Amino acid sequence: MEVGAVMYSLLPLLSLIVPFFAGVLCLFTYPFRFLEPFSKRIEKVSLLFGTGLTLVTVLSSVQQVFAGEPLETPILSLRVDLTNAAAVLGVSSIFFITSLYNVKAERGGRLKASLYNFFVMLLLFCMLGLTLSYDLFGIFLFVELTIGASIVLVVHAPGKSPPEAAFKYLIITSISALFVLLGVLMIYISTGTSNLFDIMGRPDSLAGNPRLTFLAAACFVIGFGADIGLVPFHGWVPDVFPASTPAVNSFSCAEPIALVFALYKMLHLLHAILPSPAIVTLAAGTGIVSMVFGALLAYPQRDFMRMIAYCSIDEFGHMVFALSLFTPQSFTAGMMYLVNGALMKSGVLQGLGSVLIARGTSDMDSLGGLVGGMKKTSVGYAICVLSLVGVPPLSGFHAKWLLYNATYEYLLHRAGISASIAALALLACISMVSFVFLVRSFHRIFLGRSLGDQRNVAEVHWTMWLPTAATAAIAVAVGLQPNLLLGLVRPP
Amino acid sequence: METTVFAVLVGSTLATALGCMGRDTRETIFFLSLQAATIGLVELLHCLLELVTGLHIEALIDFFITFAEWFSCAVASPLIIYWGMVKTENSAEQPAIGARNTAISLAAMALFYLILGTFSPPLPRKFESVYFSALMFSMSVFLMSTRKDALKILAGLNMAENALYPLIAESPLSLIPFILVLMAFVNVVGVFIVTEAYREYGTVVVTKWKWAR
Repeated sequence: MEVGAVMYSLLPLLSLIVPFFAGVLCLFTYPFRFLEPFSKRIEKVSLLFGTGLTLVTVLSSVQQVFAGEPLETPILSLRVDLTNAAAVLGVSSIFFITSLYNVKAERGGRLKASLYNFFVMLLLFCMLGLTLSYDLFGIFLFVELTIGASIVLVVHAPGKSPPEAAFKYLIITSISALFVLLGVLMIYISTGTSNLFDIMGRPDSLAGNPRLTFLAAACFVIGFGADIGLVPFHGWVPDVFPASTPAVNSFSCAEPIALVFALYKMLHLLHAILPSPAIVTLAAGTGIVSMVFGALLAYPQRDFMRMIAYCSIDEFGHMVFALSLFTPQSFTAGMMYLVNGALMKSGVLQGLGSVLIARGTSDMDSLGGLVGGMKKTSVGYAICVLSLVGVPPLSGFHAKWLLYNATYEYLLHRAGISASIAALALLACISMVSFVFLVRSFHRIFLGRSLGDQRNVAEVHWTMWLPTAATAAIAVAVGLQPNLLLGLVRPP
Repeated sequence: METTVFAVLVGSTLATALGCMGRDTRETIFFLSLQAATIGLVELLHCLLELVTGLHIEALIDFFITFAEWFSCAVASPLIIYWGMVKTENSAEQPAIGARNTAISLAAMALFYLILGTFSPPLPRKFESVYFSALMFSMSVFLMSTRKDALKILAGLNMAENALYPLIAESPLSLIPFILVLMAFVNVVGVFIVTEAYREYGTVVVTKWKWAR
C-alpha cells in the first residue's frame, strides 16, 4: 500500500457529498403529497442529473490523479490514487449509464419514486465510500449501508418473489456483516488505530500474532464473500437476480467493484504485514471454487436471469482469484477484470432486461428470433457477451490475457511449471464453459425460429438500447486501446 | 475476568439460550431485550460511576453514548421487531428440531466453548470475553436456523449482533452513533420486508413463502 506524498484535497469528499445530497434532495418531496405529480415528472431526470454530476466530480478527481497527484481528505481517510481510480470511475460510469436505462426501464414498484431515487443515490454514495475509504470502520459502515440500500431496492420490485428473495439476502448478508465487524474489531483492538496506512506503519502487533491475523483474514473472506456472492455464501444470488427489476440489476453490477476492492484492501493489508501463503490459499481457493461452481451451474439454466446470476458468481470468483495473488501483475489483471467485468455485465443485464420488458418472460425456451425486431439490443448484447467471455479484440480479452499471465507467473516461481500449466488449463476450461452458455443464450433468445407473436416484437425505446450500445462501444474502444483502462491502474 | 463482568456475561448467555427456547414471537423479543439489557449493563454502570466520581464533560458524553447504545439494543431494536409483530402476527412454534434436541444442542455448545476456553492459551485482556461472545453468536445463529418465523429469525439476528457488544464497546465512541443508526436501519428494512411478505402470503412462516422457484 502506497504511503507516498499525497495532495490534500476535498475532491474525494466531494465525490461522496454529491450523490448523498442528490439523494437527500430527491427525498425532499417525499412527505408532501401535493408535490407528488411534480416529483413523478422529474424523478428520472433528477436521477440522471445526480449520477451525471457525480460522474463529473469523479472525473475531475481522476484527471488530477492521472496527472500524478494522489488526492486525500485525511480527516476522513478518503483517498483517490491510481490504485482505486479505475474502480471509482467504473462505479460512477455504471450508475450514469444505468440511470439513462432507468428512464424507460423503471416502471414503478413498492417504493415511491422519490424514495427509490434516494436509495439508488445512497447505493452510489456507499459504493464510492467503499472504494475511497481507507479506514476500517468507514469500510464496515459503508458495507452495511450498501447491503441495506441494495436490499431495499430488491424489495422495490412488484410481485411475490422480491420479499422472499430480499429476506434471504438480508439474513445472509447481515450475518456476514458481523464477520466483517469482528475482523475490523480484532485489528482495531490489536493495533489501536483504524487507518489502514497507520496500521501498515506499525505492523508489530499483528505480525507478532499470526493466529489473530489469519483469523481476521478469514472473517473478511467470509464477511465480504457473502456480500459479494462467493461460494459457499452465495445462497441469495440466484434468487435476487430474477426477483429484482432490470434497472436495479444493472445498478447492482457496480457492487462487486466496491466490495471486491474493499476485500482486497483488507486482505492486502494483512498479507503485507504477514505474508502467509494461508491467506492467499484461503482467498484464491474461494475464488476458484466460485468460478467452477458458477460456470457449471450457469450452464443448464433455462431462465436467463438465473443463468446470469450463476455467471456472476463465476465472474466474482475470477475477480477475487486475480486480486488475491497479491502480485503487481495480478493486481493489474484483477482491476481490469473487476471494472471490465462489471461494465460488461451491466450491458448484458440491460439487454436481458429489455427482452424481459418487451416479452414479459425470462424463460429462454419460450424466446427466439428476436434479432429481427430488436436489432440494436441484440448487437449490443452480443458484443457485451463476447467481451465478457474474452473474445479478441474486445476489452474482456485483455482482462483474461492479463489474468492468465499473472497466474502463470505466480505459480511458475512457487509451484513449478506443471502447476502453472494445470492452473491455466483449469482457467481455460472455465472460460470455455462460460463461452458456451453465454453464446448459446444469445442464440436461444435472439436467433433461431420466431415463436408465434414474437415476429411483431419491436425495438425498445432508445433510452434502453443506447446504454447497452454505449457499454458495447466501451468494450470495443478498450479492446482496441487497452491503455484507456490500464492507464488508470497502478499496483500498490 | 472480573466477577461482575463474568456474572453479566453468564446472564446474557442464559437469556440468549432462553430466547432459543421461546415459543411465541413476543417471548423471543422479550429475551432479546433481556439479553441486550444484561450485556450492556457493565459498560453502562462503569460509565455512570465515572460520571458520578469524575463529573467532567467527557464522562458525560461517554455516558450518553453508552446509554444510547444500551437503549438502542435493549429497547429500540426489540420495539421495531415488536412493531412488525403487531403489523403481522404473533405466531407460536417449537424449534424445528424439537425442544428437547434444542436444549441438548445448546448445552453441547456451552460445553464446547467451556472446554475451548479452559484449554486454549490465555487471551489478551481485551479479548477475554470472546468465548462468551462466540457462544452467544453460535446460539443466535442456531436460533435463526431452527425457526421458521421471519420475525424470530430477525430477533436471532439482533441477538447475534448483541453478542459482539463487549467487542464493540472497545471501538471509538464517535463511531457508535453510526453503528446504532445502521442497526436500526437494518431492523426497519427487515420488518418492512416481513410485512410486505405477509401482505403477499398472509403468513410470516418462511417455509410457506415459495423460496427459489
